[in-house]
Amino acid sequence: MRPARLRWLLVPLVVLPLAWLLFTGLGRDPRLIPSPLVGKPMPAFAGATLDGDRFSSTELAGKPAVVNFWGSYCIPSCVDEHPVLLDLVARHGDDLRMVGVLVNDTPDGARGFLARYGQVSWPNVLNADASISIDYGVTGPPETFFVDARGIVLARHVGPLTPAVVAEQLAALGIEP
Amino acid sequence: MIPTLGHLAVVIGLAATVYAAGAFLHGGHTGDAGVVASARRAMYAAFGLAALACLAMVVSLLTHDFSVLYVARNNATTTPPFYSVISLWAALEGSILFWTLLASGWASLVLYRYRARLPALMPWVGATLALGTAFFFAVMAWPGDPFVRVTPIGLEGNGPNALLQNHPFMGLHPPLLYLGYTGMAIPFAFGMAALITRRTDEEWLAVVRRWTLVPWIFLTAGIVAGAWWSYAVLGWGGYWAWDPVENAALLPWLTATAFIHSSMVAERRGTLRTWTHALVIATFVLTLVGTFLTRSGVVNSVHAFTTSGIGAWFASAIVLTLAVALGLLVWRLPDLRDRRPPGAVVSRESAFLFNNVLFLAVTFAVLFGTLYPILVEATTGARASVGAPWFNRVNAPIFVALLFLTGVGPALPWGGASWPTVRERFAIPILAGVGVVIAAWALGVRDAAPLGILGLAAFVLVVMGDEVIRGARSRARSRGEPVPVAVVRLATRNRRRYGGYLAHVGICVMAVAIAVSATLGSDRTATLRPGESLALGAYTITYDRLVTEPLASDPRVIETRAELTLAGPQSGEIATALRDYPNSSTAIATPVVRTAIGEDLYVTLLAFNPTTKAATIRVFVNPLVMWIWAGGAIVALAALFAIWPDRRRTAVEAALAAA
Repeated sequence: MRPARLRWLLVPLVVLPLAWLLFTGLGRDPRLIPSPLVGKPMPAFAGATLDGDRFSSTELAGKPAVVNFWGSYCIPSCVDEHPVLLDLVARHGDDLRMVGVLVNDTPDGARGFLARYGQVSWPNVLNADASISIDYGVTGPPETFFVDARGIVLARHVGPLTPAVVAEQLAALGIEP
Repeated sequence: MIPTLGHLAVVIGLAATVYAAGAFLHGGHTGDAGVVASARRAMYAAFGLAALACLAMVVSLLTHDFSVLYVARNNATTTPPFYSVISLWAALEGSILFWTLLASGWASLVLYRYRARLPALMPWVGATLALGTAFFFAVMAWPGDPFVRVTPIGLEGNGPNALLQNHPFMGLHPPLLYLGYTGMAIPFAFGMAALITRRTDEEWLAVVRRWTLVPWIFLTAGIVAGAWWSYAVLGWGGYWAWDPVENAALLPWLTATAFIHSSMVAERRGTLRTWTHALVIATFVLTLVGTFLTRSGVVNSVHAFTTSGIGAWFASAIVLTLAVALGLLVWRLPDLRDRRPPGAVVSRESAFLFNNVLFLAVTFAVLFGTLYPILVEATTGARASVGAPWFNRVNAPIFVALLFLTGVGPALPWGGASWPTVRERFAIPILAGVGVVIAAWALGVRDAAPLGILGLAAFVLVVMGDEVIRGARSRARSRGEPVPVAVVRLATRNRRRYGGYLAHVGICVMAVAIAVSATLGSDRTATLRPGESLALGAYTITYDRLVTEPLASDPRVIETRAELTLAGPQSGEIATALRDYPNSSTAIATPVVRTAIGEDLYVTLLAFNPTTKAATIRVFVNPLVMWIWAGGAIVALAALFAIWPDRRRTAVEAALAAA
């Protein structure tokens, strides 16, 4: 090749590495944030619930558990995942325990949300001082932690739950989907 | 109804820009002035349509129309009107809408200004700008539709991002930055047009220089305003964290600044011409990369909005733009050969060359540090992050060398300098620099960084002062004017040169303020009970009481305030707070900053105990911080002074045009 033609090599030499970098960068999911809790015992918590009862995480022992952090203002993510949660408990309520934890929400706001999008059978801890969110390192609702029967955190999911995510996590917990 | 109108405006805007691009290309080929004029009018229409779409969004935000997903996510019934309006740029889709408004606005302005000039160049300039604007309209028509509706309609929305509704500066920093970003399309468009039409002459350089400086002023102001916002809101006492998106704003600024310097060499000496073109291309591509990093969620950052399908569109646009632009440059390389041999080693053009090499080094360092986590994950699968200490260590020596050049460059003659000239120009400034270092040492400054920067700044300032006085004296002698009058006339008749000097003075002010505030500040953290005091330097702060109450302007926000009494160089009642926003899991700090000429007192509430009322308070004494903002303002104003139209020259041009 003559030197004059050789200069055209400059274009792919610059453009191709950049294209590779940008498109692989796109494959990154910044929501895939590893939680230091994975593989460790779940942090214990207790507190008043939306129904006026008290709840303690010791009640979760013996069965796999799902801890769901949410808020009534979290639109549309929490609205989107609400039917997924209802369906999960309707089908596997006997095999696992489910608990909701409010993130920076008022009891009235949360009750309004449930009245609008569907009442739930599981307890929802008020968490008024946000201490549970802090212990679990929650960055923003919705976030969900999957805990096995021994109380070990198996996974953290940031963002709304989807049927696919639920199926994958159920398999990890050893529950037939 | 109103959101539908907005969506319609976007779709018609896309059609108008696509038509404009096609018509400009056709006009460029055939030279048909009628087609070019119609393309120009289509761009004006696109600007009007973008404005209409923005208006529809603002009305939806102000009326809390939660049927629009963007409004439901970024607004609540309690959001104050000011923050409702600026929520236009608080999240992804709205920013793109606002971006389109600014891009089409810049394009219309340039096409209008040059409607009767540069007839060979303008159709290609128009085509480039129209394609760029069409891309943003297309993003809004497909993956990033800002007017997506939701059912069922919520009664209450999520509210704006807590960080964005905590300070009125959010109304200033993003528009300035976006004006800078979007404006960089103009020099790029002229660059493409010049390569296509082979008109890479001095006239072209003068136009591009001016239209790089205009967005450069906004970019400079936007970066400084962002640093100020970070200082006033985030509560960590600093202003620059080398956050990926801060870097994304800095990168085009660095290459644009390098261009402003290299274009002077290209214009005066006919050298560095390929290089100058490459910088124009790099600047525009880097503004796109900056947008990509901010908007696609590729990097984790306080600025990253959300993950979305828009990333693939931006990545494709960046790759395509770079491939076409670089291809054009390679194609026209034979036209861009240097017109004369390079100058002597000790000459103004080598100072410019060193300046460009250093700017490029910083650009690469910042780009590498920013993309490193992606690179590592792509190759090894591990997650990594690059922290501020790395950026500081790598870049600080380069910035020091650049500061040295701000003084050396302007004082060296073009072509080459003889040893006696060098001695004559630099003997006194070097002595002044050494003198300032000794004086600062005597005053108790022991750190190497502030000592070195103070010495360098003194050197640069004396060089600048000497240049001005030398010029003024010779003018005063030849014209018989008093020296002060001569200084003013000299400066207003050589705006580019003296505007440049003034910008260098602003950089010196910033450099000193950055070095001193980073090394000579002090801070203390203490947990106090009501009635207890904390002393730092000359200040005593007494903690009076803790107050928790909803914010008057937005009752959903709960503010916990530590009320303090301040005694010392400044005194009075102050309050620093943590605010709990319903949609943020972390409390947002509201630091109190007492600014004075010499130093800032910066007080922030870190934590509190609601039962014991104990409050953990951090106090910083930050010397000279306001001079960072002041220096930034000097730089921006100096550039404005430099591009301000010269009345006499405009008159001469008008006379020539009339004749």
